[in-house]
Amino acid sequence: MWMKDEDTLIEEVLQGNHSSFEPLLQPYRQGFLTMAYRMTGNMEEAKEVCQEALFKMFRYLGSFKKGRSFKTWAYRIVMNTSFDFLREKKKIEKVLEVQKRSFVFENSDAEKRVWNREIREKIQNVLHILTPKEKAVFLLRDGEGLSVWEASKVLGCSQMSIRTHLSRARQKMRGHFEKKNLFGSNEVET
Amino acid sequence: MKCKKVQRLLPLMAGDELPRPKAFKLRTHLHRCPVCRREYEKYVLLVQQTRKWLAEDRVDWEKREWPQALKEVIREKESRRPSMVPWPFPKGWAFALMVGVVLLITALVVRPPFLEKIGIKPMSTDSAKVEALKAVKEGEQQEVVSMTMVSKETGLKIVWFFNKNFDLEERH
Repeated sequence: MWMKDEDTLIEEVLQGNHSSFEPLLQPYRQGFLTMAYRMTGNMEEAKEVCQEALFKMFRYLGSFKKGRSFKTWAYRIVMNTSFDFLREKKKIEKVLEVQKRSFVFENSDAEKRVWNREIREKIQNVLHILTPKEKAVFLLRDGEGLSVWEASKVLGCSQMSIRTHLSRARQKMRGHFEKKNLFGSNEVET
Repeated sequence: MKCKKVQRLLPLMAGDELPRPKAFKLRTHLHRCPVCRREYEKYVLLVQQTRKWLAEDRVDWEKREWPQALKEVIREKESRRPSMVPWPFPKGWAFALMVGVVLLITALVVRPPFLEKIGIKPMSTDSAKVEALKAVKEGEQQEVVSMTMVSKETGLKIVWFFNKNFDLEERH
């Protein structure tokens, strides 16, 4: 099936064809929710953040400059909305508590949803040791596969800053892996 | 390159985030340094492992939630009716500053009472007082009383003179 490019879809939405909004966001729907979920640590809150982010995207689509990357623009909105959400509820320091509580709730539901509980727990334990900025950089780069340049656009900082945070995050994670013996007997995949 | 510097760059090398020339130098060092190579392999394993976990544990919207969320966004926007036209002033602060200056000038020119608040008295009040005092001095000592009314809005002043019997006197 022929797929319209993003610029065409944006143009259509701006001209009042709201049905083009769905195909425009379709490639990122999972990424947005996953990102918001990992930032907030709670599925309901993640959906709330996504809903707000989608509204902002729709509202401010007119200010999106042609020729720029829609992906980084949209992720930036999701990230900023997540940070706003966390800041608003003064959760930055308490995120870990919330995440632990949400685990209890979601673990009981895990079998129904076919999510790998063990992996989720490992990820959350890793995220637990990172600062919000390190977490954001790590998730954008390793989780969403954005390049350093794209991550710098999303977070509104320099590529050098992204590299510094990423390096620091991996150093911390390395320490965590060794402490928890997570390297095990795995071999490096070539 | 020395081992210390190499080891600082290894976390980025493992994720392929280093610029090519630097990565090339690092790789050359890794070929001949088994200690750094071991470190590097650990970082590679870490990156592979975390990327694998993150890829395996992605969450998604439930079947009906996604279209419902988009519908709500469109409905909410239509109810609020904000403009989709881009903001015409890319530098908002410059625009705000300009508006502020215009408002200040308007306040200074159009509203004289504002001047009083910042210590500058309108001319009308001063000149009325001087004239009233002058009239008293020129009159028959204490036998003349005057009463002055000044309009704050227009600056128009009216001075009444009375003799000692409180009869209105005409003066020019």
